[in-house]
Amino acid sequence: MLLKRICWVFTLVIAASASLIAGPTKEAGKELFVANCASCHNKNMKDDLTGPALSGTEDRWSAFPRKDLYAWIRNSQALIATGHPRANEVWAKWKPTVMNNFPSLTDEQIESILLYIKEPGGAPPPPKDPNASSAAAGEEGLPWTYIGLAAILLLLAFGLMRIVDNLANVSRVKDGQAPLHRTTYQILTTKGAIAFLVFATILIFGYKAVDNATRMGREQGYKPDQPINFSHKIHAGINKIDCQYCHDTARRSKHSGIPGANTCMNCHSAVKKGTISGTSEITKIYASIGFDPITGKYMENYENWTDKQIEELYKKWIGQEYMSANSLTALDENGKSVVENQWEGVVKALKNDSNGKIQGPIEWVRIHNLPDHAYFNHAQHVSVGQVACQKCHGKVEEMDIVYQYSTLGMGWCINCHRETEVKFKDNDYYKQYERYHDELKAGKRDKVTVEDIGGLECQKCHY
Amino acid sequence: MHHDNGIWVGAEDLMRDEAFAQSSQSEFSVENIDQTDGKWTASRRDFLKLMGFGLGAATIAASCEIPVKKAIPYVTKPDEIVPGVANYFASSFVEGGDYCAVLVKTREGRPIKIEGNTLSGVTNGGTSARAQASVLSLYDTRRIQHAGMVKDGQVEKQEWGVFDREVKAKLASGNIRVITNTIISPTAEKALGEFLAKYPGASVVSYDTVSAAALLDANQKCFGYRAFPHYKFDEASVICSFGADFLGTWGNPIQQAHDYAKGRKVAGKKHAKMSRHYQVEGYMSLTGSNADNRIQIRPSEMGAAITALYAEISGNGGGPKLSDKAAGAIKKMAKDLQAARGKSIVVSGSNNVAEQIIVNKINEMLGNLNNTIDFNGATFSRKGDERNVAKLIEEMNGGQVSTVIVWGANPAWELPNAGAFADAFKKVATRISLNTNLDETTLLCTHAAPAHHYLESWGDAQAKAGRYSLIQPTIAPLFATRQAEQSLLTWADSANLNATSDQPYYEYLKANWQNSIGAGQTKYLTQDAFWEMSLHDGVYENAPHDITAVFDSAVAVDPGAVSKPSSSELEISFYETVNIGGGQYAHNPWLQEMPDPVTRTVWGNYLSIPLEWDGVNNINGWKGLVDGDEVQVEVNGQKFTCAVVRNFGQAAGTVSIALGGGRTAGGCGVGYGVNVNPALKQENGLTQYYAADVVVTPTGGKDKHFACVQHHHTMGVKAMGTEEGKEINVDEKSLGWKGFQGSLTDRSIIFQTNVKDLQSLEHKLEEFHHEAEHLNSQTLYPDNKDYFGTGMKWGMYVDLNSCIGCGACQVACVSENNVPVVGKKEVARHHEMTWLRIDRYFYGDFENPKVVYQPMMCQHCDNAPCENVCPVNATNHSMEGLNQMAYNRCIGTRYCANNCPYKVRRFNWLDYTTADVWPSNEERVFHVEGEDKPYYADNLVRMVLNPDVTVRTRGVIEKCSFCVQRIQEGKLTAKREGREIMDNDVRTACQTACPTGAIIFGNLNNPNSEVSKANKAAGALAYKVLEEINVRPGVQYTAKVHNANEELFS
Repeated sequence: MLLKRICWVFTLVIAASASLIAGPTKEAGKELFVANCASCHNKNMKDDLTGPALSGTEDRWSAFPRKDLYAWIRNSQALIATGHPRANEVWAKWKPTVMNNFPSLTDEQIESILLYIKEPGGAPPPPKDPNASSAAAGEEGLPWTYIGLAAILLLLAFGLMRIVDNLANVSRVKDGQAPLHRTTYQILTTKGAIAFLVFATILIFGYKAVDNATRMGREQGYKPDQPINFSHKIHAGINKIDCQYCHDTARRSKHSGIPGANTCMNCHSAVKKGTISGTSEITKIYASIGFDPITGKYMENYENWTDKQIEELYKKWIGQEYMSANSLTALDENGKSVVENQWEGVVKALKNDSNGKIQGPIEWVRIHNLPDHAYFNHAQHVSVGQVACQKCHGKVEEMDIVYQYSTLGMGWCINCHRETEVKFKDNDYYKQYERYHDELKAGKRDKVTVEDIGGLECQKCHY
Repeated sequence: MHHDNGIWVGAEDLMRDEAFAQSSQSEFSVENIDQTDGKWTASRRDFLKLMGFGLGAATIAASCEIPVKKAIPYVTKPDEIVPGVANYFASSFVEGGDYCAVLVKTREGRPIKIEGNTLSGVTNGGTSARAQASVLSLYDTRRIQHAGMVKDGQVEKQEWGVFDREVKAKLASGNIRVITNTIISPTAEKALGEFLAKYPGASVVSYDTVSAAALLDANQKCFGYRAFPHYKFDEASVICSFGADFLGTWGNPIQQAHDYAKGRKVAGKKHAKMSRHYQVEGYMSLTGSNADNRIQIRPSEMGAAITALYAEISGNGGGPKLSDKAAGAIKKMAKDLQAARGKSIVVSGSNNVAEQIIVNKINEMLGNLNNTIDFNGATFSRKGDERNVAKLIEEMNGGQVSTVIVWGANPAWELPNAGAFADAFKKVATRISLNTNLDETTLLCTHAAPAHHYLESWGDAQAKAGRYSLIQPTIAPLFATRQAEQSLLTWADSANLNATSDQPYYEYLKANWQNSIGAGQTKYLTQDAFWEMSLHDGVYENAPHDITAVFDSAVAVDPGAVSKPSSSELEISFYETVNIGGGQYAHNPWLQEMPDPVTRTVWGNYLSIPLEWDGVNNINGWKGLVDGDEVQVEVNGQKFTCAVVRNFGQAAGTVSIALGGGRTAGGCGVGYGVNVNPALKQENGLTQYYAADVVVTPTGGKDKHFACVQHHHTMGVKAMGTEEGKEINVDEKSLGWKGFQGSLTDRSIIFQTNVKDLQSLEHKLEEFHHEAEHLNSQTLYPDNKDYFGTGMKWGMYVDLNSCIGCGACQVACVSENNVPVVGKKEVARHHEMTWLRIDRYFYGDFENPKVVYQPMMCQHCDNAPCENVCPVNATNHSMEGLNQMAYNRCIGTRYCANNCPYKVRRFNWLDYTTADVWPSNEERVFHVEGEDKPYYADNLVRMVLNPDVTVRTRGVIEKCSFCVQRIQEGKLTAKREGREIMDNDVRTACQTACPTGAIIFGNLNNPNSEVSKANKAAGALAYKVLEEINVRPGVQYTAKVHNANEELFS
């Protein structure tokens, strides 16, 4: 408790001092860079894009006064017109591309951006193998310490045993008895040693059993193959589609909702081929819902089509696209096998024991499974709590294949409920918690957490 | 005799029977605990074997991989369906003439719960147990799943096209008869009309399972309307019912209960006023149990009683003689009625036309006609006439009928002349059934053309004049069934039916509404808007206002024509219960397991016998019989054997038994109770629901599984101490000293008073509250006021004066909370799982007592005894005042159930819901007769489960949660809308089901919530059950106030 308080005070002090001496910071620079510069200048600072790579800008302008650089950034064309040598040098190289003007940027903001350009803070860390969770990574170093410690303790125990033995012998000799010479084996098989061993074994196995039992049913890192090789990285990451565009019920229902094929079709009636997968994956959507990509129309009476008819249509489509991509007029050998393989993939994805037809829903494999006795409501967390999806699901926009990011264990839920502050002031619903409002006003409390309004109670999730 | 507090639950506790006291203290019945049906005996070796198996199995199970679960989205997601969010559709529950305007709650496209429709002027948002349970019959595994020929008790599948061709060929020649129960659907009547027009030899035979034909005939004769009038029970200050069960089964019970409860609200504290209700009857009906005064008569004296009242009011005698005691009482009652001219109601349940005419005359003379009795709101809940069936039997025997179509009716079982019907029926060449189940009549048919369940159908209803409502499908048909109306129209080759459309009857219905029912409507601009809005609201009301009924002076009022009293030693009444009806609801497990409000028995019908008081110290069952003893009953030349249940209020020299037991085909009701229909006799063609000359002989046997829940889960009963030789308080004795706070020092469960003594009860209760508060404040522990002081604190208020005991709340609770059905054998072992029970308490005269019903559910005590004793903290308190139960944490010690003073906790002794994986746990679990699988193991049945409530597994305790899923949902709605929570956000299932508004739920921390206001308005009359034991419940009850005429029998 005390520690928590100290930490808290410390954080407050830092935050306060930070706001007092607010100068250019890399964080602000990053924000400004993303907002203003990133559309033309490469984020890695090393390669050219629409505009030049920015790494080393300050060095290149070091021969001139700092205010020239500011002027350049605020209005490059004006500086060129003055005949500034460095400005004209760059203009000669990049003509006719004109850099946008940023007259509103303050000196301090420009300094921030320059600070960021200088040290962009490295590329984002490579995605971790989901199976090696942070906890596991932490444990990796620890066992050796423990083993070493255990070895030392064992040696110590052994040494003590010998000392006890020797002392016992000394007293025996004093009493005129012959000393006993026990071998190490004899010492290790005394009652005490065996009892200790049994005790230790029970302790370790008991601990392991309980530990494993709590983990039963938990599937952190679960990363099953899906019927469609759908990449969240492409959709949510590169194309920046909002999570709730497809998972639209997350804000109003307990379920986040798996989008129906008709949602996919909003885009994929136009986007008919994937950047990586080509026709192989998107055709699965078409075969599920009955869309003819060649004519761009939905088929009438599709649910009564035979597999043969469907096969003909989509093989034609795959073949046609293969030919146009390779500028062929007829399918070559490779093309034929591509068509066969892709078609097999479509059938495998859509036809299964529960759905004997190609038509019909795409049966995704559910990744996040809560036990039946746990109630979870997305709307509560997304709409009311305004929790970012990533908080529980991880950076889905960076995942090609989605996996279960969190443990989804109760301790994990509880912990978040303890720490998360309720959006107390903006929502009239919380008016009725009068005492908390009074305490906040009186300064007796600085925040209201989910725990404070009953977020740890059993029947918030179990009923 | 011990009669402190004036309240008792049954003969045993009145007698302070120690054995009973002990058994009622225990959670389960000791006598029955060893019942194993010879299936299970375990030795030590078995135990070891099982343990070994268990360990092995657990190891294998633990090492198994978690199964792959699929997430299957829609291909094209319908806009209106959001997975995880319920949709509500307005519809109407209709079964024969029984009606309720409802909202159907659907989740992911499947109906799971019935709510009342508050827009209806007929039911005002109230429901009945029957309506609440109707959703379960949609998922009845015994429904006929396709059309075809009936052979060897099976329906051989035929395509509808083939089937129709065959049927049409049969219909082409000869006379056709269509047998129905009451049809209240105008569009169905139109369809039927088209069918009759197509086949000239065709006609309709309509009857009701439980007949009201005499009343309808009398109203036709006297006023020219063959219908029930609208009885304004809310405006009546004196109500007199001659055996009419108007709160349970007679007329339009949901509306009548609603109105009646209004009139029972105590108006004004100083000069308190409320209506006075007399009930003249032999057995105790649900309505009679609510009456202020019951005048007990033998059923054969009904005519004499009615004429006695008529004589008092008109001065014309001439009726048969009534016993002196009853005659004296009726004299006094007549004075009351006359004093309330124009503000009283006299009704009769008799099925004798002369008696009903006299009742009409009495009402006219009392000036009630067009005041409290209004034909503007005529009710069409019964239209049938059983004399039509007798005529049909003759026709069939005479070979005049070639085809019979049975539509919803079950004449081969539910009539006194069912045997004669069945014999004659077999002589008809083509017998077509439109029924949903393979019932007794359908089994005798040649063809089955199964109709949809109402939740899959289009349709409409006119329950009362000008008050129309629509039925719309809430799920695609589960089986290859077809709308009955569509079948008829198809066979009639109707030009108005567009057979090629997707939903032909939908279009037919819509056209009829736009062109006929709503033809002159001015409420909406266009007919399309009219249709859309009517469908949205579920109702369209255009009730007439200008009808003034006139008693036709040509109608003879003849006191000599009424039924004659019998002089036989014993008489019997046959009555309809609120749950099973006349047997048409027998295949619904929820209704079977709902206790009959008065006798509190389940799964079958039992013979009610009177109790005899020796005037001093003893109360014994008639002939010394006790509950569960088997008797043989001989009546009208028929014999049947059943068990008895002793019942206070059953008049001496009479017995009674419910209709509807002993179904032989069609569903889960088969094998429960006895069929008493053959014992009914008809007089002038009208079925009489009583008989004289009854002989009851004990067989010496016992019903092994006698299932009466009255003495299960009772609250701490006193006993005769064997050492002391006098009455003692069991709890005190076990504790060793008197007055210990927490011991049950007084049974403060029910408080009642006559309305004229209201103020003295208030004083008494004030003192009681004061004393309880004093006791409760003697505690070491700090007050927890602060804990509940902020945010919400949930609480409930139950008005015992409004509660009529109808049981709608109980079934609603079962439906909402996935409470399992356990079956008769398990109920007999005290294992019923209902979270909400309706306790029945008697008070007053032993021989003619009054009744209080008390809905009893978890009281959500702030100082809960159950919470302290749980070793694993599976039950604990929330800051919103909820007593929480975490099933997954419960290890099944049952300490909590043992420590609960209200006995509201239920233990899953067996795997009732088949939620776990071991088949051996399923053996004693409820099966429908003839099925291999337990009831809940069928995926069809499981479709009714509420996905927001955990299905509990074996070995855990469960109890009322105050519908916490609804609380959470309501809170979320308010939060998402960024506003404070309102009363309407959270309404519990029992609250919404109640037709009388007896249950109010809400936030006690908000002084403006309905529940706070109700508590405040009740003042000192509001009390907590066992208030003095400092458990601080969250449920408040108000004292029962009656308005008995105490001079009635003096």
